[in-house]
Amino acid sequence: MIPKLAFYFALLSLVSVGGIPSVMPEMQRVAVEVEGWMSAAEFTQVFAVAQAAPGPNVLVTALVGWKVAGIAGGLVALAAFCVPAAALSYSVGGLWDRMRDAPWRKAIQRALVPITVGFVASGGYVLATPAGLDWRAAAIAAASATAIAATRINPLWFLAAGGAAGYFLF
Amino acid sequence: MTREPRQDAPRPPSGLWELYLGFLAIGARSFGGVLPWAHRVLVEERRWIAPADFAEVLALCQFLPGPNVGNVSIVLGRRWFGPAGSAAAFLGLMALPLVWVFALALLYAEHAASPGVRAVVTGVGIAGGGLFIGTAWKLARPLAKKPWALALAAACLGALAFGRISLFFVLPVAALAGFAAARRDLL
Repeated sequence: MIPKLAFYFALLSLVSVGGIPSVMPEMQRVAVEVEGWMSAAEFTQVFAVAQAAPGPNVLVTALVGWKVAGIAGGLVALAAFCVPAAALSYSVGGLWDRMRDAPWRKAIQRALVPITVGFVASGGYVLATPAGLDWRAAAIAAASATAIAATRINPLWFLAAGGAAGYFLF
Repeated sequence: MTREPRQDAPRPPSGLWELYLGFLAIGARSFGGVLPWAHRVLVEERRWIAPADFAEVLALCQFLPGPNVGNVSIVLGRRWFGPAGSAAAFLGLMALPLVWVFALALLYAEHAASPGVRAVVTGVGIAGGGLFIGTAWKLARPLAKKPWALALAAACLGALAFGRISLFFVLPVAALAGFAAARRDLL
């Protein structure tokens, strides 16, 4: 099972342009439908825990691996997902710094800023609407979005407030 | 690209240990998403990197496959200290969250039957999504007077969040459109 995990997450690593959110549907399909590692409900819970825990959302790979093959499975899945992408970033990052003044680099750079804005906002929208558009979710998300954009208060408070609001609203 | 005048030029970390601790601080506090914390620690608190420079590195790392902030740690670690820097930054970022996510998964597995626990976890996740939206808003501020850039950002949002179109289609189309527009000085 562990070699299968390693192979599968390494493959997923190389197509994860845009990070974890973009590969979640594919990960769910394989874990639930193709391999039958867990039920759809269990997969959703695992994802929620990874979201609620501190740290990069890539840790959901560790929880999926853990469900399949314990702690070792979790570490293997996380490493398999991170290492190929890290190797690519490492090589491209150096090229990127060396080409600081190339016109094509400046054009790519200017193009990427608005694209990034659209992708980050989409990630936020998808995370904030786990059960479709809903006024309670919209209110919580709008409050925390406004708070982080307009203040320098520690965002942990906004998350705690979101948890409290969730307790009373859901 | 015009740069804002700086009161205080950013200074990179002075050693590997400082770099490790900086990324450890990001990982330690990053409930609900790492990106807002990466921005806060690297740009606002430790001032290792200028805001515009951070936006550029992040843009590259969103474009590359893999975890976005994980890639930021690899790229910045390399820029400052080579391979050892990449390793220090990446391990610092992952160390504490990895321990906590396993601990939380065990805890949640015991209490998942409680509707109250479920509601709180849902609320925290949604507020985390809101932090992403607010961060996108901050990143978009330099684009305020660039209508084509705002249109491109809005098109990406519409296609991904509302159209639910595959990223494998949206990314190449947006990148080509953006590159063409940038070459004509529209962005």
